[in-house]
Amino acid sequence: MEMEKILQQATGKVDSAELFRIKSKTIPVNFEVNRLKSIDIAESEGQALRIINQGRIGFASLSGSSLESEEDTETMVEQALATSEFGATAAFDFPEKNEVGPTTNSNLPEKVKIFDPKIVEKSIEEMVKIGEEILVKIKDFDRRLRSDVTIVKDISEIEYSNSRGGSFSYAKTAIAYSLMIQQVEDQDILMIESSQAAAQDKLEVEELVSEAIENFKWGEKVASLESGKMPVIFTPKAVLTLILPLIIGLNGKMVWEKVSPLAEQQNKKLWSEQLSLYSEGLIDFALGSAPFDDEGVEMRRYPLVEEGEIKNFYYDLQTAGLAGVESTGNGLREGISSPPGPGITNLVMKVGTIPFPEMVKDIKEGIIIDQVLGLGQGNIISGAFSNNVQLGFKVENGKIVGRVKDVMIAGNALEELKNIVALGDRSEWVGGRFKFPHLYLKSLSVSTKV
Amino acid sequence: MREILEKALKNNRHKADYLEIRAEKKEVTDIHFRGPKLEKISCSRQRGGNVRALVKGGWGFISFNQFTDLEEKVQEAIRVASLIGQEESKLVPNLPAVEIVQQELDKDFRQISLSEKKNLMEGYNELIMRFNPLIQSSRVTYNDRFSTVYFANSEGSYLEQEKPFLSANFTAIAREGDNVQLASESVASTKGFALIEQISGKAQKAASRAVNLLKAESVKGGEYTVILDQTLGGVFIHEAFGHLSEADFLYEDERMRELMKLGKKFGSPQLNVVDDGSIPGLLGSARYDDEGVRTRKNYLIKEGILSGRLHSRETAAKMGEEPTGNARALNYRFKPIVRMTNTYIEKGNLSFGELLSGIKEGIYARDCYGGMTSFEQFTFSAGEGFMIREGKIAEPVKDVVLSGNLFTTLLNIEGIGNDLQMIESGGGCGKGGQGPLPVSFGSPHLRIRKVVVGGGR
Repeated sequence: MEMEKILQQATGKVDSAELFRIKSKTIPVNFEVNRLKSIDIAESEGQALRIINQGRIGFASLSGSSLESEEDTETMVEQALATSEFGATAAFDFPEKNEVGPTTNSNLPEKVKIFDPKIVEKSIEEMVKIGEEILVKIKDFDRRLRSDVTIVKDISEIEYSNSRGGSFSYAKTAIAYSLMIQQVEDQDILMIESSQAAAQDKLEVEELVSEAIENFKWGEKVASLESGKMPVIFTPKAVLTLILPLIIGLNGKMVWEKVSPLAEQQNKKLWSEQLSLYSEGLIDFALGSAPFDDEGVEMRRYPLVEEGEIKNFYYDLQTAGLAGVESTGNGLREGISSPPGPGITNLVMKVGTIPFPEMVKDIKEGIIIDQVLGLGQGNIISGAFSNNVQLGFKVENGKIVGRVKDVMIAGNALEELKNIVALGDRSEWVGGRFKFPHLYLKSLSVSTKV
Repeated sequence: MREILEKALKNNRHKADYLEIRAEKKEVTDIHFRGPKLEKISCSRQRGGNVRALVKGGWGFISFNQFTDLEEKVQEAIRVASLIGQEESKLVPNLPAVEIVQQELDKDFRQISLSEKKNLMEGYNELIMRFNPLIQSSRVTYNDRFSTVYFANSEGSYLEQEKPFLSANFTAIAREGDNVQLASESVASTKGFALIEQISGKAQKAASRAVNLLKAESVKGGEYTVILDQTLGGVFIHEAFGHLSEADFLYEDERMRELMKLGKKFGSPQLNVVDDGSIPGLLGSARYDDEGVRTRKNYLIKEGILSGRLHSRETAAKMGEEPTGNARALNYRFKPIVRMTNTYIEKGNLSFGELLSGIKEGIYARDCYGGMTSFEQFTFSAGEGFMIREGKIAEPVKDVVLSGNLFTTLLNIEGIGNDLQMIESGGGCGKGGQGPLPVSFGSPHLRIRKVVVGGGR
């Protein structure tokens, strides 16, 4: 059914209404244990209606079959009305015509590039070929290894329209390669993961494979380690361990309800001067980019943390309204059945000046952490983290000497980030949305099995 | 529905070695309180389906939520399956079944008004918020969903199964200056609304635990003898061991198969581990799995010896073992993969007091924040912890994170309590992007020596 018609159905009865639609197609090609295992195709369509009725918010969604059926959309309108009876008091209204738009499909220059027709055209057969190429490269390196590979592409179309005249639409593409190599010997398992993702068809098989092989070589030998405090280098992949508590603590919702220990801490020197983090929704071909967030507010670039001081928290419309500030364009939906809430678009950490090999040279005895288990587990709001090191390397006298086993790291990220020795001079995309350099901490508590 | 599915299968049956179609309809209600405010109340309706085709050993899978051109979808699934297939298809034989499975509810939540649901949860939320001035905020969430899953395959099975699910989660957040602590309690059920009408105790417990954590010291990292309560014991056996019993990890990996060879000693003769999807009414239960195989009781460890594992029809055929009814799919967007159902350690013969006795310095770890594994390595966080000193429970500690190697830890279980309890909570299990899938797990109290505990100091 036409968006306008549903909005009309709703607006007859309420103050204002908003309809969000997404249509997507995802195709993963999976290789398991060195061979093609499965090809999936996932098509889905859904829509969500949010209304403001006598000052209160109502929300209902519909995914599936009868987008065309009047009865289904009528039920959605009825359900949204029913929920608005108890809904939260709205602290905002939907953006007006002059605030949203034009759509990216117009002739005006694009604000941000997030669509690559090459991804749309890429056939399943081509995706299979990429996976095979990766497998051959690993086999050439060592025939005994088990490799699992996934090549996945995703195309989505988003449409938004509200009763105050605001509307936009855009299409978005994504592609990702991921590789896991594994060696089992007796009761020892060495598992190495490597992945790349972007909105543009520009991923490099060579880069993916060489990263995994380098880690494999470092990890083949097991090195012994004693518990204690020691210097630690986090690879870009592992930096999230320290940054996750900040992502949660800087969420406008957590700040507004004063659960975040970072509430009321703006513009105070909290962490190392080297630490700067930017929320950037307008980076071409990054996975978190879009011209607008999921409720029609323009995405932008602004600092969350600069030189160790909190500069901004991130907000959606409702939370911003409650807190008496402006939305930062971070109103994101976790799925069609969830209303928008503050979410991270792309998060970029400013690079430092020290190349990774220099950091390693600087360490007499310490570890490098590449993959952790239990990310986000435990009381992360407080900053506390405690993780099993899934892949980590021992450094002795400036050299990587092998892999560490049965090792845990623990600390409080809000404290540890005061003691950054150095940040890497290059940053890497992690999961297509985070861009981090290597991060070198002076001292971290490491416990190990004796 | 039966006619539509069978018609789409009929014309394409000869083009694939095996075909199945699942369809699902679902209605969902969510209510979230955050602090004193109702943050979200929403209803959603979902419909969708999928086709899975097996051609020469290769699987093609397509999921969709528009039911137009179902036959075309079947052909597309067959096309991609043909790209993969290079060998003989292997599926363990399964007798075709035709059955409609309905669920009796103890108060059908679909008949309860939105305002009654909201009022009930509001009451629990107020209990938490008013419990103590140190309570800074709360998360109280209610979720109910009622799905009906339709299944038809090319061998003549046709099944309709109703799957109700209801959960209430209480999280209390206490804050004193920079010190922020949280504690959660959760209930979930397939049985109906009655279960959640009288759970004030759970709400109060979450609040009191969060407040108590403010006073707790961080545990000192190191190696300890640890007693796990039934929840943590259940999480441990599910996360650390159960996932390794899932045959899809093993069947094509010779080395992993060697590691998990049946007949190997995994623990003391007192250790028995079971997965059973046929227990009526538990979260992981169903009459048939998502490949139409009857669920049953499966011993994974019997008297300390590895004695079984969990299978789909394909893994069972490839390993030459019996099917176990463990192929499960989160919803219509996903294909069935090997999953646990209700997993537990059978009760032993020691009382809690006997488990405690003789521990000079140890840790009593209760409840769980979450856990993760990577093959042999596991880590999970206790929701609540106490030191054990001279065989007695002593001061509370926080940030208790247990980690280790599965194989050595199982062998290090030195005491099994006589107090098995099945845990049904709203969390669920995640694997291969499919989560949270409803499961239950359980254990008696367990005493384990030499567990690495990572602490905040």
